[in-house]
Amino acid sequence: MPAFAALRQFPSSDPTSETIVAVTPRKTRLRSDSDAAIGSPLRKSPRLCKEGTPHSSPTASIRKCLKTSLNLSGSPQKKQLSEDFVERQNWNPRVDETQRRAANEALHVSTAQMNVVCRENEQNRILDFCKKCIKEEKAGSLYVCGCPGTGKTLSMEKVKVMLADWENEECIQYPDVLPINCTSLANMNDIFSKIIEKNHSGKKRSRSTSSLQQLQNLYSQQTPGMKMILVIADELDYLITRDRAVLHDLFMLTTLPFSKCILLGVANAIDLADRLQDESVLLVLEYLFLICRTTLETLIVACFHPKVVSSLQSKPMVITFCAYSKDQIINILQERLRAVPYTVFQPQALELCARKVAAASGDMRKALAVCRSAIEILIGDSMLSSLDGPEDQHKPAENVSMSNQVRIDHVAAALSKVYKSPVVDTIISLPQHQQIILCSAVKLFRGGKKKDTTLGELNKYYVDVCKSTSIPPVGILELSSMCRVLDDQGILKLGQSRDDKLRRVTLKVDGADIVFALQGVRFFRNCLQ
Amino acid sequence: MAETQQMKKFKTPSKGTPRAKHPISLDHHIAPQTPQSATPSAINLRRSHRLTAATPEHRPALSSFNTPKSAAKTRKICEDPPSILPTETSINPASPPPVESRKKRKFQEKSAEKRKDSRNVKCKRAADRKVKKKVYHKKVVYDGGEFSAGHDVYVKRRSDASSDDEDPEVEECRVCFKPAGRRVLIECDDCLNGFHLKCLKPPLKAVPDGDWVCCYCVARKNGEVMEFPEPQAGKKRARTAREKLLSSDLWAARIESLWKEVDGTYWFRARWYIIPEETAVGRQPHNLRRELYRTNDFADVEMESTIRHCFVMSPREFANAADGGDDVFLCEYEYEVQWHSFKRIAEIDSNENDGEKVVDNDADWNSCDESDSGSDFNSEEEAAYENEKRNRLSQSSSLRPVAANSRKGQIFGLQKIGAKKIPENLRSRKQTDLEKAKSTLLLATVPKSLTCRDREMNEITTFIKGAICDEQCLGRCLYVHGVPGTGKTMSVLAVMRNLKSEVDAGSIRPYCFVEINGLKLASPENIYSVIYEGLTGHRVGWKKALNLLNARFSDENKCRKDTRPCILLIDELDLLVTRNQAVLYNILDWPTRPNSKLIVIGIANTMDLPEKLLPRISSRMGIQRLCFGPYNFQQLQEIISSRLKGIDAFEKVAIEFASRKVAAVSGDARRALEICRRAAEVADYRAKKTALSSSDASGKTFLLTGKVMAGMADVEAAIKEMFQAPHIQVIRSCSKLSKIFLAAMVYELYKTGIGETTFEKLAMVVSSFCANNGETFPGYDTLLKVGCKLGECRLLLCEPGTRHKLQKLQLNYPNDDVTFALKDSKDLPWLAKYI
Repeated sequence: MPAFAALRQFPSSDPTSETIVAVTPRKTRLRSDSDAAIGSPLRKSPRLCKEGTPHSSPTASIRKCLKTSLNLSGSPQKKQLSEDFVERQNWNPRVDETQRRAANEALHVSTAQMNVVCRENEQNRILDFCKKCIKEEKAGSLYVCGCPGTGKTLSMEKVKVMLADWENEECIQYPDVLPINCTSLANMNDIFSKIIEKNHSGKKRSRSTSSLQQLQNLYSQQTPGMKMILVIADELDYLITRDRAVLHDLFMLTTLPFSKCILLGVANAIDLADRLQDESVLLVLEYLFLICRTTLETLIVACFHPKVVSSLQSKPMVITFCAYSKDQIINILQERLRAVPYTVFQPQALELCARKVAAASGDMRKALAVCRSAIEILIGDSMLSSLDGPEDQHKPAENVSMSNQVRIDHVAAALSKVYKSPVVDTIISLPQHQQIILCSAVKLFRGGKKKDTTLGELNKYYVDVCKSTSIPPVGILELSSMCRVLDDQGILKLGQSRDDKLRRVTLKVDGADIVFALQGVRFFRNCLQ
Repeated sequence: MAETQQMKKFKTPSKGTPRAKHPISLDHHIAPQTPQSATPSAINLRRSHRLTAATPEHRPALSSFNTPKSAAKTRKICEDPPSILPTETSINPASPPPVESRKKRKFQEKSAEKRKDSRNVKCKRAADRKVKKKVYHKKVVYDGGEFSAGHDVYVKRRSDASSDDEDPEVEECRVCFKPAGRRVLIECDDCLNGFHLKCLKPPLKAVPDGDWVCCYCVARKNGEVMEFPEPQAGKKRARTAREKLLSSDLWAARIESLWKEVDGTYWFRARWYIIPEETAVGRQPHNLRRELYRTNDFADVEMESTIRHCFVMSPREFANAADGGDDVFLCEYEYEVQWHSFKRIAEIDSNENDGEKVVDNDADWNSCDESDSGSDFNSEEEAAYENEKRNRLSQSSSLRPVAANSRKGQIFGLQKIGAKKIPENLRSRKQTDLEKAKSTLLLATVPKSLTCRDREMNEITTFIKGAICDEQCLGRCLYVHGVPGTGKTMSVLAVMRNLKSEVDAGSIRPYCFVEINGLKLASPENIYSVIYEGLTGHRVGWKKALNLLNARFSDENKCRKDTRPCILLIDELDLLVTRNQAVLYNILDWPTRPNSKLIVIGIANTMDLPEKLLPRISSRMGIQRLCFGPYNFQQLQEIISSRLKGIDAFEKVAIEFASRKVAAVSGDARRALEICRRAAEVADYRAKKTALSSSDASGKTFLLTGKVMAGMADVEAAIKEMFQAPHIQVIRSCSKLSKIFLAAMVYELYKTGIGETTFEKLAMVVSSFCANNGETFPGYDTLLKVGCKLGECRLLLCEPGTRHKLQKLQLNYPNDDVTFALKDSKDLPWLAKYI
């Protein structure tokens, strides 16, 4: 459990340092796993991980963490919770179908929570921004970025609701809200027509001008009594066309003097706003240059013109959603499970799931999926054991109730389904000739001199290996089709070439992985020595 | 006149005498079944001779027909005691509430509009109905013939057809144009003409066993022209009703119910039969001459237009009705008029009493019932009666699911309900084991059971069931991957078939299933319109479809009409990857929305597709993966032998050999099946050849005793054919000069150790080869041309010929292959010493 070891060096109180570690390992995942495999050639079955977890991570610490979370949520609830713990003992999925369903539903991605925990800070910032803009009747743009599965879209939904509440309290005219998912636009320019439809639905539309021009005209002159519009553009980076015109125009709308448009953009890329900024400066200058048809001197003067300055300063505010830390994941999971009146998970199990997911990506969707599949594994297990016989009845009552909860080994099994690299298993189950190909590729690259080769070269080595063991080799056409299959499985990488023979071949997995997988067969062991 | 003819055909001389008045006798010919069960494959065993004078017991009622044109019409009605139980008879299920219409054109049209029209008519006549009612009868004696529900009759096509005047009930001999009389008529199995045994050339002494084809048909088959003898001048050849029917001058129909209209005319509800020529596919080669299809087309026909009985039988009855006369037909399939599809008629259906029929067309029931209840009733009495009727109906409808369940969603015959064409092999002659093996090993043949993928199928089943059995149906996603030919698509489809039968049985809720192959989409975006069409049946452009689908899957507040969960199967998922991957994003985003009720199953070959996608997409894809590994040799062996179960065509060693060979290279089940099929072909070919060669000496005994099985040698041959690379054959068959050229390439390669050489060097080598071995050196130009040609068929990799001497050349295939191919060439034995 290298991930565990690594994690424990960090104090869990510092979520950011953890996430820095957490985001990177995606690329090197295969390798890291293989390293572990080499270190311990006896591969452990996932169930053994229970023993593998350090004993020093005791339940006490988790209790503490539980308590802290309870403290956060307030004392009356805590009381209720502790009462619940008594009642909650009897979660028994194999008897009651509805209980399982309830748990599954609570953990499903689509189930929107009433209160989004762990993102209060970001939500408040977005909300404040919106409130400010609406109060001042000023346009503005905000860019929300973060990794997938960090609750961006969910928070936006929440903000929408909170904004509506606030406006009801303050009796301010509620702006039009237009949520758009940019992937569902057939044509990127449709976003302008959607805005204009939403905002000025009563007015007649002129056919001659495009909706963008119409919007620009609207926002560059004062029209009294126009409502604000709040555009929430999800997956904003899909608006990036080849010349980036759409995205620019969209952001430029908010910089127009009488603009009523508040733009909230959501995407994964952190630097989208910066890129936008760089280019928007150029664009503004170009725009001024064209309009004023002035000399450079006046241009320099113009740069200090307050309008230009304001437009230059109008770089959208950026709010970053960091990947979830393990505490946050635990919090969210518990919050979701509160909807179910039973204890479904052992606290340790939840912590394992949270730690592992936080270390890998901090993707909440993954964590939820892991939990759901852990429940499924538990049910599958309990079905098996109930088939096994009446052993359960002799167990003490506590154990029975405990056995109905999702234990750490279930979560570990579910995690291994997600994060375990399947390379070794795949190689073991490959047909013999494909294994020979891999074997010869390992031999070819062994010296470390070469990183890639051609198919013709590989064929030579392959034929050599075959001949040394008196296996009839297959033809080169067959070989190239087998290499294509290996390419599909992500073990080899085939380059593009007009001639089969000259295609470049590189190994995509570590050679050590292949050696490890093949060393079980004596034939290959001799071959590789 | 007609009556006299009738006399000749049937010996029972009961013309016009209402012998059939006795209701008991009727039961005989409603279903002329035979107690002992013959195998259904015995269709061909039907004897073709008709002993025209040997059928007295079988059809007593037949004897009592007059031609409809006869002036005097005698009507006698045998009512099933209506006075005692009037309600009983009128709600008898054998007589669905018919659509009343008196117009003649009614029975002319055979289209789908019929029902709609008649509905209109019905509304108009609702007023009439209050006063008088139709009286339903179980059987009617009309024109001396006795008709009852379940009988089959000929129906005149046109009311004014003059050709119907003469209706010979007795067939004439096709040669001497005399009716059969005492002598035996033999029927040709091909043209269905009757012949006197004596009129034939050479005359036959007795009726032969098995199929018999007349000499005219034999001659026509051999390409000769042999005209039937013309009848004497002035005399027209009389056509029988059977001939008219088969040339679509008459129709055949089944009487579903009979009633007497208020004006005293008799009507019946006809279910039409159709001849193969009138179907959408036309006559198929396997159709028997006397085959009809039962349609789902109904019409109300007046009794007057019937001609007489005919007998449409199920295959089993047909096989046993050896000498059934001329009016015997075979009906094995039902033909859906609107959809042009065939459905095998279940055995139960045809054997049991006709009451069950009504279950088929419950649409009629319901619609009529609705319209009935809609109309006003004056007297309370009738209203009460109506209520009672409805109560009974509701009772029966509550019983119906039980009845449907009793078959457990079994499918009869064809796999889908209603096939566009009837598979030919069901009917053709008995196949040998090898031929059977060939057809079962075809990739297109769906195996009866899927072996070796139980675990995966279980996983898919639990995945789908876990979603659709819940009330709220949480959306989810499954990614299935594996190398080609490992049964990915087949397993998913098999699971879906099982689920469908469970839906039919009522144990799980209905769902909609949309299957899409990424390869079949014109562009990835088109998937939206395909999905929308699959869900709703409307075809719209993809942009509009995208908006509609977005609304459908995301709108939680509006309760949709269609709340069924939706299963979306996308084969070749990797082809949907566009430049910005928006298509995949949208499809995988829908299941994460609340209330989407969407289940996505994606199938692709690449294992690491989710990792290749954008992280936001793989995050939405979830973690459910299912890997189909390549088959190992035991699994392949099991697959092949399960397909060949019951067919003794392969040696066990041969199967093992083939599966081991494939498992070592790719583990592709398709390839293993192809090899075995090819091996079966080779063996079959061998068997036929030996049979031919030995047929002179002892052909018959060989056919009886010798049984050819595909063995190791055949598999070996098949593998060689499929695996051996084509380039070796190309090299072996190319010209002499090209061979020398290639040999020189190999020689040069050995000498220098460098793969690439120039044309100049090579020409030197070739010239030295030629000089040493007594060949004439062809000259540089020819040699260059040869090189370019070899380059064109990609045996060599070479630069364009314009560089002439400096052209660089390289072998495209390993030199070992070239050596192997050239080693033992017969025309150039000296090449071997250079390579």
